[in-house]
Amino acid sequence: MGASETRWCLRPGQHLAYRQWDGECVLYNDLSGDTHLLGDGTIELLLALRRGPATREALAAVLQAEFEIDAAALARETDTLLEDLRHLYLIEALAC
Amino acid sequence: MLTAASLTAASLTAASLTVASLSRSQLATRLAGPGLAVRTGPFASRIRSTIPQVADGIELLYGAYPLLGDEDFADFHVGLRRPGGLHRWYKPQVSFDLDGLVPFEPLPEAHAFPMLEWGLNWCISTRAHAYLMIHAAVVERDGLAAILPAPPGSGKSTLCAALVHRGWRLLSDELALLRPQDGLLLPVPRPVSLKNRSIDVIRAYVADAVLSAPVSNTTKGTVAHLKAPAASVARAGESARPAWIVFPKYEAGAATSLETIPRARAFFRVADNAFNYSHMGASGFATLAGAIDACTSYDFRYSDLDEAMAVFAALEAPQ
Repeated sequence: MGASETRWCLRPGQHLAYRQWDGECVLYNDLSGDTHLLGDGTIELLLALRRGPATREALAAVLQAEFEIDAAALARETDTLLEDLRHLYLIEALAC
Repeated sequence: MLTAASLTAASLTAASLTVASLSRSQLATRLAGPGLAVRTGPFASRIRSTIPQVADGIELLYGAYPLLGDEDFADFHVGLRRPGGLHRWYKPQVSFDLDGLVPFEPLPEAHAFPMLEWGLNWCISTRAHAYLMIHAAVVERDGLAAILPAPPGSGKSTLCAALVHRGWRLLSDELALLRPQDGLLLPVPRPVSLKNRSIDVIRAYVADAVLSAPVSNTTKGTVAHLKAPAASVARAGESARPAWIVFPKYEAGAATSLETIPRARAFFRVADNAFNYSHMGASGFATLAGAIDACTSYDFRYSDLDEAMAVFAALEAPQ
């Protein structure tokens, strides 16, 4: 399966307890016990995954709907966010 | 023979007494024997000691606190004792214990009362995980509380001492206890710890200040404890709603300033000052987020206490 077909999902056990204030988001990570300071785009992406697994393209579309961003920047931003969230144990790629 | 009814009556009588109802001799006898059981807010402590400085401090500063009976439950059983060894003959020392555990190195005997205060703070901050505990002073007016989180040296205690003698109620000088169930602050009104120059500042600022004898050469410099206002002790059962989070910073000569802190940034700064934020997990997050929601947060710099009092008096209730 290619990278474009990979589906992403929230890690089991993440409840996405968060608060949004003034363009910043504070989120509690149920698996690590850490608290993260996130931008608005990041929480939109996580909330999309709360509705169910999604492909990179679908998640990029979520970001594009929220922010005015060109295609190249959108691709870079989506990949960076997904990788960051994976490292934080907030999301994972489904095996198949 | 005592019946159930007379036992109840005896308990009720004991519950209504305060430490001040004991003579000095009775106080010393309890401290040396079964222990002096005293209630400070949600906690009961049973204190044992034969060291005169401990009795001196309690007699001076704890008169208004509810006295518990010998059989009543206590959260903390603490002792201040002279350790054995050669020290006792040429340089007397005092050690603090909780249920027989000795968590700290002994200190000079002259430090006995500050050690009791520090030890009681340690008991709460390491055990009372039913609450989100923040290292902060808390004062209240008209049902709304200001939380003053700050590291040592920020002028937190000086500001707190001045506020509670200018119309604010003391909830605590050291520990903000946020109850997860309803987000309210519980009072633990104990003596206010003053250090070094703050001692003379408060002596000059509060005409009727009752202070323990200053103890010099402690790890915190010279320390003295200011008696908590009796009205605050009497209202130790009344919780308060958090309304402001104020990070104070004393700077000699600084102009008074109050600047709003964005909520997400305030969240992390309060968490940094919490004793058990990580320990409480998701409950700690929800409790702190609720407090941040309810409060307006500020950075506050001051050098003049009168101006500081005016700023606090003008704080508006959050929308």
